[in-house]
Amino acid sequence: MTFKHFIKTITFIEILKGMALTLRRMFSKAVTIQYPDERRKIAPGFRGQHALSKRGGKAKCVGCGLCATICPSQCISITREKGQVTKYQIELLRCIYCGFCVEACPYGAISLTENYEYSAYNKQDLMMTKEKLLSNWDKYMPGTKGEEYYKKFWRPMSEDFGTPPGQAMYGGKR
Amino acid sequence: MNMANVISPSTVDALIKFGIDVAIILLKIVIVLAIGLLHVAYATYFERKVIGHMQVRLGPMRVGPHGLLQPFADGIKLFFKEDIIPAQADKVVFYIAPIIFMAAAMVNLSVIPFDANFVIADINVGLLFIFAMAGIGVYGIFISGWASNSKYAFMGGLRSSAQVISYEIAMGLSLVGVMMMAGSLNLSDIIRAQGESIFGMYAIPQFIGFIVFVIAAVAETNRTPFDLPEAESELVAGYFTEYSSFRFALFFLGEYIAMILMASLCTICFLGGWTLPWYVLKIFPFLSYVPGVVWFVLKVYAFFFFYYWIRATVPRYRYDQFMAIGWKILIPVAIGNILLTGLVKIILKEVL
Repeated sequence: MTFKHFIKTITFIEILKGMALTLRRMFSKAVTIQYPDERRKIAPGFRGQHALSKRGGKAKCVGCGLCATICPSQCISITREKGQVTKYQIELLRCIYCGFCVEACPYGAISLTENYEYSAYNKQDLMMTKEKLLSNWDKYMPGTKGEEYYKKFWRPMSEDFGTPPGQAMYGGKR
Repeated sequence: MNMANVISPSTVDALIKFGIDVAIILLKIVIVLAIGLLHVAYATYFERKVIGHMQVRLGPMRVGPHGLLQPFADGIKLFFKEDIIPAQADKVVFYIAPIIFMAAAMVNLSVIPFDANFVIADINVGLLFIFAMAGIGVYGIFISGWASNSKYAFMGGLRSSAQVISYEIAMGLSLVGVMMMAGSLNLSDIIRAQGESIFGMYAIPQFIGFIVFVIAAVAETNRTPFDLPEAESELVAGYFTEYSSFRFALFFLGEYIAMILMASLCTICFLGGWTLPWYVLKIFPFLSYVPGVVWFVLKVYAFFFFYYWIRATVPRYRYDQFMAIGWKILIPVAIGNILLTGLVKIILKEVL
């Protein structure tokens, strides 16, 4: 034990330094958000509860099953009968909110809304049926919000990285 | 039929006097208990608030304005919880343990002088009485650990009794310097002697003893950084792991009353109790109109804040480090302090 170390030990200098820090922190502003009264600002492109988008009052979904195929937790199940989507179900308890379904959909038919407060007391309420998903679109994506949402966050990659319009082509086809 | 025919008037007078004395003591007990329990309730609240703010949180906020009613909500919750007793527990001992623990802590409040003339039992061995009762409190801890018939509780009880016993030595020795300077074991006399001394409070001439006492007081009440008996990561909750409902609340109460007691003891022996140092009164003469109990309570609160502050800052010690601090450092230092105090006392006597 060197002399310096000895002095450090008997004067509690390190503990006192730590105590000075905690005392300073005591007078700084707390970071707590008082949840039901205050809410965190939702970031753009937030991935919350799902919704099936509509065009002209009807669902865009054609039941191709790409979303169900790509879903890593396999929480989407789709049934088609006679060219009609008869069942479209999402199990919210299994969903991991990765957004792959939105990315896979060729029609922009499924979206993730900004709603994250949907806790329930039973499992059945967390099984999203087609009707519930369609009503979610009206509820959380009113007006042009839904269209803008797709344009901003989920537009096809070809729009950014595709062939520029002015490029010369063979045979006049692009 | 006259009373005077049965017993003589002088006996009646003596009986009335005795009755009045008993009534006064009972009143004092009620006051001290009520205020003490209220302090325990709000000590938990302020602990959570202070530590919360030190960790850049808010602490309790939902019950009442700024969570001010939180202690009552907690108390009601504890009272109505199910009282679970382990099937293999030693029932009788299991029932007695929290009562011993809390009673041993509460009895100590009777010898604490809160103001110049406010003390329930003004006994001349006050300091020894407190040590004796702290020693009995260990039984509560230890037999609760034994009666629970659980590994965690047993280990916690063992650790706690080892800790309290070894730190009691350091604490007792650190207070010997104060006894030597005051020349008394009566707590009121210690405060009076302090008020008349040159420094006004013994924390200045007895600073070695003061530091040893503060460390030992934190260890004695099983608080962080010395809360090894309750080390959550190792022992779940220590000796009261198996206790629930109001029996748990009794342990909790006992612990906080022990904290109040240690804070009071520090105030009495080192910070001058209800008195202020004469040099402070010389600079601010108007302060002498403030009742002494205010100063006493303020000093106790300051020590309480220190408890919370150190809990928010320092991590828990390892068990062997902790024992080494007690036996290899604190006890020799305290003994050295006694020697030093004695030497200075002899020299001063020779010179003057």
